Amino acid sequence: MNTAAGSIPPSEFMDPGIRRDDANAPVLELAGLSKTYGRRGGGVRAVRDVTLSVGPGEVYGFLGPNGAGKSTTIRMLIGLIAPTSGEARLFGEDLRSHPAVLNRVGSLVDGGNFYPFLSGRRNLEVLAKTQGRGADRIDGLLDQVGLARDSKRKVKGYSTGMRQRLGVAAALLGDPDLVILDEPVNGLDVAGIQEMRALIRSLAVDHGKTVFLSSHLLHEVQQVCDRVAIISKGEIVRESSIAELLRQDDGLRIEAVPVEVAEAALASRWAVERDGDALVVRATRAEAPEVVRRLVGAGADLFRLAPEQRNLEEVFLSITQPEADDA
Amino acid sequence: MLEALSAEALKMRGHKATWFLVWLFPIAFTIIMVMMIGAGLFGFEAPDQPKPADWIENTTMIWFVPNNAVGRYLISAFVAVMFAGEYGWNTWKLIVPHRRRASLIAAKYALTLLLFAISFFLTALLLIVLNFADDALTGDKVPAGLTAALLWDTHSKAALAAVAPVLVAVAYASVAAILTRSTIAALVIAIVATTIEQIVVGFGPQLYTKFPSIVWPLYHGLPGHHIANLAEFIREGEGLKRGFPGGRIVDLSWTTSLAILVAWIAALWGATFAAFRRQDIN
Repeated sequence: MNTAAGSIPPSEFMDPGIRRDDANAPVLELAGLSKTYGRRGGGVRAVRDVTLSVGPGEVYGFLGPNGAGKSTTIRMLIGLIAPTSGEARLFGEDLRSHPAVLNRVGSLVDGGNFYPFLSGRRNLEVLAKTQGRGADRIDGLLDQVGLARDSKRKVKGYSTGMRQRLGVAAALLGDPDLVILDEPVNGLDVAGIQEMRALIRSLAVDHGKTVFLSSHLLHEVQQVCDRVAIISKGEIVRESSIAELLRQDDGLRIEAVPVEVAEAALASRWAVERDGDALVVRATRAEAPEVVRRLVGAGADLFRLAPEQRNLEEVFLSITQPEADDA
Repeated sequence: MLEALSAEALKMRGHKATWFLVWLFPIAFTIIMVMMIGAGLFGFEAPDQPKPADWIENTTMIWFVPNNAVGRYLISAFVAVMFAGEYGWNTWKLIVPHRRRASLIAAKYALTLLLFAISFFLTALLLIVLNFADDALTGDKVPAGLTAALLWDTHSKAALAAVAPVLVAVAYASVAAILTRSTIAALVIAIVATTIEQIVVGFGPQLYTKFPSIVWPLYHGLPGHHIANLAEFIREGEGLKRGFPGGRIVDLSWTTSLAILVAWIAALWGATFAAFRRQDIN
């Protein structure tokens, strides 16, 4: 996976002097993107001032609880919804003034919506014609997503997972440079999820495509994404690389007795929390020897010291749960 | 644009409701003609020797369908399915990112009119063939003086007179489909609009006695009278004169009627394009 492609600072977004033909120029940029439904006075702000940037070859995760604004943002990205304010740029082009840039984008929204009275293959043929392309890639894609045998069946007989896979084939039909996937593993079984994970990785690693995906399956996101943005109540509340996001919550988990003595020895230097009989110390891995010295110096017996690293799910909940509780 | 039209045709080719509405007219008129032939064969219908104009008139029935309220309802049903179907299937999301919205709507209009043309021309052709078959089977003689030129002249005039009501019916249903995003709602609105228009044109003089200040502008403003007036000019060479109480007569030139119809069609079709261009597809 290409992890070299870093974030483009939003401040560069509007600078007309930036060269857009640079190989590292952002593929996707959102600046102050907002969407309000209804009248201005009593309108509902679904998305508020979303600013982010995705570099070429990145796999970018877009996380948020239900109703956070993920789908609205994605729909603005592919021209289904007009933003109330702000700007979406794809490959350096403003989407509103250059909608043709969407020809370089493949998308899967709402688990794949297809004409139920047509077969899977015929649906892809319709889409290929709509895009002004030939049908030469269809068989290969159907094979790739495991639908070759069912391609002549009508879509109304497809399971949710089959529709999802057909949606992925539809997203890849135009051999796009940017693939936008909204909840791509919804409805897939365990094997399907693994296949999807491999496919998403392969898109970036083997084919150099940029992938922007939203998901509520944080384990999957943690495994495939380079960077993530967490959106809650329509606003981006955190954006960073996965490693950085997890590192921000680094700490050391300590089991020592007497626990009161250990706590007193460490609290003067680091933030310390009790977790049952254990202590969680907000200290880095490099500070572990100093922690040990202080404990021994204070006369506490140390039984266990291990890095405390929360997974993405815990980080996600710590960021979004308080707001959800407020709601 | 041709690619969008080709995609639209490929898509609707597999949709049974669309094909039912296309085949409805040829099948319905064939059944009617077969029953008439049967009636002639079994002696329920006296042999006749119609004039060429009357014989041809029997073959032009299909072109009067768009001038009739029930015919307009059927056209509206077809258009509602064509335009609102994408909302029901939730498939705008599949195709909107890949084409300018205007070209998607233009493709729907083009295919709708193309399918109507196929349906109506096929029905007219069938009616001509079945009329010949009727004569052959029942022993009626084909009227003397019946020529291809006369047949063509009558049919082309009848077809031309059918253009305006088709376009108006398409306009009502298409704008309603895009605004309501529902096939049923679009059909109901189109039926209501058509019915109001037909009531005003059919019962204008009677209604005028009770509500003169409302009926007079409605009669002049709605498409109904102008469709009939234009058809009269095309078929008879002179306009429709409609008497109202108090000695008032509605006697409009074909250019006035054409201008008002063009304004209606352009406004409603334009509203369809504009509404879809601005629409959020959630």
